[in-house]
Amino acid sequence: MSSNKMTPHISRAFDQDLENIRTRVMEMGGLIEQQLENALKGLVDNEVETAESVLKAEYRVNSMEVSIDEDCTQILAKRQPAAGDLRLVMAVGKTITDLERVGDEAQKIAKMAIELSQKSGPKSYYIGINSMGNHVRKMLRGSLDAFARMDSKAALEVASQEPESDDQYAALLRQMITYMIEDPRSITSVLDAIWCARSLERVGDHARNICEYTIYLVEGKDVRHISLDQIAREIGSEDNP
Amino acid sequence: MQLNRTEKIIDMNNETGQFSPGDPESQAGGSHKFNVGAGLADRKHRLHLKNETPCLKVSDFNLFYGADQALKNINMIIPQERVTAFIGPSGCGKSTLLRCFNRMNDLIDIVKTEGSIYLHEQDIYNKKVNVAELRRRIGMVFQKPNPFPKSVYENVAYGLRIQGVRDRHKLDDAVENSLRSAALWDEVKDRLNTNALGLSGGQQQRLVIARAIAIEPEILLLDEPASALDPISTLKIEELIHELKNNYTIVIVTHNMQQAARVSDYTAYMYIGEIIEYTDTNTLFTNPGKKMTEDYITGRYG
Amino acid sequence: MSLRAWYKSGDPFIWLNAGAVAVSILLVVGLLYIIAVNGLGHFWPNAVVGLDYQYDEDNSMRILGEMVDHETVPLTRFEERIAAFVPEGQEIVGRTLFKVGNRREFNADFRWILDPLQSAHVYPEEATVIERREWGNFYGYVRDIKVGGEPLNLTGDRPWTELRERVDEAQRLFNEVRHIEKNLIGDINYRIEQLRLEEKRLRLRGVEDEQAYHDIERQVAEQQAAYDDLLGKLGELKKDLASVSMVGELSDGRQVEISMADIVRAYRPNAMGFFDKVGFYFEKLWEFVSDEPREANTEGGIFPAIFGTVMMVMIMAVMVTPFGVIAAVYMREYARQGLVTRAIRIAVNNLAGVPSIVYGIFGLGFFVYFLGGTIDELFYTAALPQPTFGTPGIFWASLTLAILTLPVVIVSTEEGLTRVPRSIREGSLALGATKAETLWRTVLPMSASAMMTGLILAVARAAGEVAPLMLVGVVKLAPSLPLDGNFPYLHLERKFMHLGFHIYDVGFQSPNVEAARPLVYATSLLLVLIIIVLNLTAIRIRNRLREKFRAAEQN
Repeated sequence: MSSNKMTPHISRAFDQDLENIRTRVMEMGGLIEQQLENALKGLVDNEVETAESVLKAEYRVNSMEVSIDEDCTQILAKRQPAAGDLRLVMAVGKTITDLERVGDEAQKIAKMAIELSQKSGPKSYYIGINSMGNHVRKMLRGSLDAFARMDSKAALEVASQEPESDDQYAALLRQMITYMIEDPRSITSVLDAIWCARSLERVGDHARNICEYTIYLVEGKDVRHISLDQIAREIGSEDNP
Repeated sequence: MQLNRTEKIIDMNNETGQFSPGDPESQAGGSHKFNVGAGLADRKHRLHLKNETPCLKVSDFNLFYGADQALKNINMIIPQERVTAFIGPSGCGKSTLLRCFNRMNDLIDIVKTEGSIYLHEQDIYNKKVNVAELRRRIGMVFQKPNPFPKSVYENVAYGLRIQGVRDRHKLDDAVENSLRSAALWDEVKDRLNTNALGLSGGQQQRLVIARAIAIEPEILLLDEPASALDPISTLKIEELIHELKNNYTIVIVTHNMQQAARVSDYTAYMYIGEIIEYTDTNTLFTNPGKKMTEDYITGRYG
Repeated sequence: MSLRAWYKSGDPFIWLNAGAVAVSILLVVGLLYIIAVNGLGHFWPNAVVGLDYQYDEDNSMRILGEMVDHETVPLTRFEERIAAFVPEGQEIVGRTLFKVGNRREFNADFRWILDPLQSAHVYPEEATVIERREWGNFYGYVRDIKVGGEPLNLTGDRPWTELRERVDEAQRLFNEVRHIEKNLIGDINYRIEQLRLEEKRLRLRGVEDEQAYHDIERQVAEQQAAYDDLLGKLGELKKDLASVSMVGELSDGRQVEISMADIVRAYRPNAMGFFDKVGFYFEKLWEFVSDEPREANTEGGIFPAIFGTVMMVMIMAVMVTPFGVIAAVYMREYARQGLVTRAIRIAVNNLAGVPSIVYGIFGLGFFVYFLGGTIDELFYTAALPQPTFGTPGIFWASLTLAILTLPVVIVSTEEGLTRVPRSIREGSLALGATKAETLWRTVLPMSASAMMTGLILAVARAAGEVAPLMLVGVVKLAPSLPLDGNFPYLHLERKFMHLGFHIYDVGFQSPNVEAARPLVYATSLLLVLIIIVLNLTAIRIRNRLREKFRAAEQN
């Protein structure tokens, strides 16, 4: 039941309002992706300037969240949306919270990147971080795509990639511990790197959340806190009632 | 100003960012075994028509205005001591259906009905049914407040007087109780003997409800009871419905979808004489099963 | 502003409408004014004029009377004889109508006198007007009083003062005589008549019991004794009355003798002050509305006509209201709205347009002859061949008018029933009331104001209707009122007097047209007033009802 297939509202202004928050969520998503990419670049390639640009752009993320949130509140107050419209507004409200947190994680990574650039230490584990970063970035983009297309199947697919980011995080952690055991001097910088990995793992979680909101938006089913199999069954039950 | 506000928000976000491990999402994300959460448990407490005691049961009901069919093969139950709302565009037959429950449509010569409506086990369209007696059991409140041009007291006592109650004491008690139940007693207790037409619209409508419950019906039919009232009076009526829900089975027809959403337990969406969707109100208003319903409640109808 | 612009501005329509309203108001006010001026002036004591009438070259006569009218006429209508009195070249001449009274002596109450033939007017203080029970007014001078045929030989002002005392005494005696004649003897006659009927009824039933007849005979004898008693008393009173008389002198010097029994009142208008005149005016006015007519209805009051009119209207209202309301309720609430109902409704509406005399014919044929005749045969056999109900009477008149006004009541009641909102009926039905309970407890009270409106219209029409009444019960002079002290108090079979018919009778059937004309106006005014009072009462009741249910009708 994507909004594209929907007949327009009798009130065209309402349609515009809804369209407006949707596009702005996508806009915010694009910004967040950019932030995450820059933060990773700053960390992996040791580019301090790129990392600093992330810190500078952070306020834009926050103000976007606030302003989209305001729009949602206004729609709720003025239009009293029901059913699909209501779910859209709710999903948008939650999505931007998650996106903002992704932005926070990007900020943290950028800060670490600046700090780590001052320190000496093994940089080889950056390969692992980079690949994990690429994975969660792909997840984030996938979840935003699914949201934009209101595609619950795509969302499910993206969500099902989340355990992989967990596995990568666990592998990375083992690798880091090895480094620390080998060279206790590197402990401080490795710990920072662990924090980065942790942040990326959280980004994966947020991406999954966004997928869940998309599924809620499209299917009207709350799939939070249940296993992927169950999610798949919920979506399936919609198709074959 | 814009900057100040943004800075403040950044601070807040930093704080929340530090506490992020405590977020429920992170817990859920951390463990996939966390399967049957509070969400599912809640769903079991949800209202469902299967779990209700039927009060009225409509079976294969058709209604014709002359040659035009106004109700088409209606099958539904009205659950006991719940609020059931009918919504739908004008002319969809929701009022007609409501008026079938106390056979108000009998007053129109050209109306013909088929099928049956059971009040508990009894078919109210059976020829042996005493219609006046039926209407005593199924009270009705109309769109416009229609108090009789009599005193407040006489309005409420009307139904009892028709039943032949003459005992002044009994009448006094019934009048007071009904007015209290209708949340009107405090407003009119000092002017019980003044003309009811002097009351405000909202008071009149509550008076009419008091008049209906004075004869202690089992079911209250409300035909757009708040459509002619201002928002405050409307809320008072809604609050009253909420109170009455404990003792009465209530069926309400309304044009105001938010009202249906607020006051009812079950909602039926009707369109051109048919029930398109009939389910619990929460589901209908957040995740309706039919596109027609969704289009109607989200304002895409037409 | 061009004419076109003015026309488009809408002002002309406002003027047109306002003009129509103004004309209507002017008509109503003018009508009332003309009636009031002509009618109410009649009771004012006009001055008595004395003058010399030069009826030919050498002779003149003394005239004493009231100026009643004045007009101008072309000179050519008169003979040469007055040419001498009129200046050369003048072609029109004024003439004055004098009421000179003394019909027995002068053969006419009124006399036109050309202005040039009149000498200068004088207003003698001692000129006296005496209203008599017969032969119209006396205008002249009081000269002496005779008691038992012997003149008292009074002089100066004494005859007048003596006369006034004697008149008051005579008035008292006369009232007593009238009371005996009218009430006591009337009652006895009524009872004897009833006893006679009772006896006849017994005979018709073939009762053999002698005792019963004896009882009746005894009672008749009792009544007869009382009657003889009263007759004796009456004779004495009448002798007393007749024993005193007045000697008066006419303007031409003739002496006349007037018995005290004939005098209603005596007054000297020229000697009266303004307040005396006002007092006299109201006394006359009161007499007019409270007394019975005299002298072929041209003198005295019209109380029986007022009473008859109001009574008839009331009986009519009592009958037409329930009948009309029931009919309307059936047609509006119970009958299937179809071809038949519509036909009936059209028929009812058309009934309102049928000329009223047709109703009179119907009333006479159906009510009086058929219904009345049947009632007489069934219940009043004893009185036959004398009809009781089989002759025109107030009941039949009321019934005829009830039928005449029925459409009005039906239509307006239906209107009222239609105006009761559906929501109110449904509200009542939804509380478990049956249709009859709903009707009785809510719908009918709410349409009461409409019923009252119908009744108002009915009353207004009935009070003014004359033509049908002439066929079914109105008479020129009714011997007794339809309501009196004899059981069963209300005598629906009696004939009655009616203001409308009274106007017609006095105005067109009177032997003395001039004398009657002011009375026609006064009676008309009274009829209008009575209709206004009846209407206002009904309108007040209706407005109170309407106020009570106003808000409900707005819904």
